[in-house]
Amino acid sequence: MHSFKLISTFIKINVQMAMAYRADTIVNILLNLMWLGWELLTLNIIFSNTQTIGGWGFGELIALLGVFRLVNTMMFALIWPNTEKFNASIRDGSMDYTILQPVNSMFLVTFSRITIWRIWDLILAIVLITVGINISGDLIIPLSIFHFILLATSGVVIIYSLWIVLIALTFWFTKFDNNVTILHALIDAGRYPSTVYPIWLQIIVTFLIPIAVATTIPLQALRGDLEGWRIVMFFAIGIASFIIASRVWKSGLKRYSGASS
Amino acid sequence: MTSETILVEQLSKTYQVPEREGGFGAAVKGFFKRKHKDVKAVQGVDFKIAQGEIVGFLGPNGAGKTTTLKMLSGLLHPTGGKAVVLGFTPWELKPDYLRSMTLVMGQRNRLSWDIPAADSYLLAQAIYRLSDDDYKKTYKELDELLELEPLMKKPVRNLSLGERMKVEIAAGLLHRPKVLFLDEPTIGLDISGQVKIREFLREYNKRTGATILLTSHYMADVTALCERIIIIHHGQLKYDGGIANLSRRIAPFKLIGVRLAQSEAEGLEESNGRDLSQYGEPVQNEEDAEKVYIRVKSEDVTKVTSRMLSDLPIHDITIADPPIEDVIERAFNE
Repeated sequence: MHSFKLISTFIKINVQMAMAYRADTIVNILLNLMWLGWELLTLNIIFSNTQTIGGWGFGELIALLGVFRLVNTMMFALIWPNTEKFNASIRDGSMDYTILQPVNSMFLVTFSRITIWRIWDLILAIVLITVGINISGDLIIPLSIFHFILLATSGVVIIYSLWIVLIALTFWFTKFDNNVTILHALIDAGRYPSTVYPIWLQIIVTFLIPIAVATTIPLQALRGDLEGWRIVMFFAIGIASFIIASRVWKSGLKRYSGASS
Repeated sequence: MTSETILVEQLSKTYQVPEREGGFGAAVKGFFKRKHKDVKAVQGVDFKIAQGEIVGFLGPNGAGKTTTLKMLSGLLHPTGGKAVVLGFTPWELKPDYLRSMTLVMGQRNRLSWDIPAADSYLLAQAIYRLSDDDYKKTYKELDELLELEPLMKKPVRNLSLGERMKVEIAAGLLHRPKVLFLDEPTIGLDISGQVKIREFLREYNKRTGATILLTSHYMADVTALCERIIIIHHGQLKYDGGIANLSRRIAPFKLIGVRLAQSEAEGLEESNGRDLSQYGEPVQNEEDAEKVYIRVKSEDVTKVTSRMLSDLPIHDITIADPPIEDVIERAFNE
């Protein structure tokens, strides 16, 4: 309950911060509207020409895109701005104040900056997921929808945990602004020609972590293709990665408090 | 259970800092093999502070003041010793502890620059789970003392340094902490700004009975606010006691100021140029160019004064305690 109140306060404050500069605000709204239009257009082009890709049905593909957007939204709305703020707060020492708040510091570091323009993306993602599931409605049993939501959440948590571990490394290395770059590479690896990365990194990064965990696997669950033990396993991995991330964060804090002056 | 609000025993902090010599070769070598040096920032410091006290925490740069404050607020884990504040071990960072203390650092910003302080205050209200009534009551009180209202609606970025300090300090006090750790709360402020913050702290202490431990580079902050001071130097406790006693302990001297009667042949310059060093150590005093000051051990004052009176054509003579700033300066240098 308290967390929700805090998040809503953060959203309010971020709206205010976003509106502090009028020109900036107008440009941002226009840019995001254009971006949204472009996305919708792309979707329209893809699906007006094809009904299935690689054996995946139309509805499932839409849901897949929706989940992918969800991950993207998290990246752009929360992870980038908060990484930026986190790195700055280590540099200028305002991290000290964050640690001394009577609220979990990992929570504060996650939500204190929210790029509110990405609200479009979030809405789009949810619409896509809902529409996708509805279209494939006949083939899908409710239990699969539950599995899908469970594993999509778990996938988001895994990526989030990865991020926490990456920024927590800053506590050890003090100067580690590359955390943004590494994460970008991890999530975005698929965008670049494969020759850019060594093959093993390609496999791990492109397929294993982001795409598979957050999109393909939940979708498989939605289709009922995933055995029960796999569902349990992926969900357990989600929980485990969150626990590990919290641990790493905690010992990072301890390290920070041991080293800074 | 102790009656002290703050109890510090043998508190120590040693930093490991990377060390390498200058130059390219050393940089390359240092990349592969790190050398570390131990820096003892705080070494076995003991003190107790009772509820409601305002204590000045003094020492030259690098003496270990900020390190101690950070350990007491919970930011740093000590390498040795213990500290208990309000019954808590600070570095366990228990939420109940964090809700009952505050750390204000004059050189760090707590508030967001792009939005008015009022909005950041609402966030603090949410974080500290303050009810609307409690928040309004505390805010009203702080507003009364610091005249916050006119500053609330401007983005923090547009406030002057003094105004910003006011809203920063108030931001740290919205949850009515029982213990205040203030690190250079008046740094960079002009005299009237310093005086306002000082008056505020005194009044706040009187009203709430909060315990305050503050560091400052401005001796006036300390002399105006604190009856008790703690001095540390090179991480070790040098003095803990009343300000009044400090002079006696550290600098048992008096200042004798004399103005010599001018003979017609002798201008002021020459009379002041007269060598008084046989009576005591001459001291520069720019504020009062008409007088010559010498520092004399307290027990010799009577003897020296009577000698001077008989030797010299004295027009005016004063005997005073040295200013506290000088005394503290001396304590640092010892």
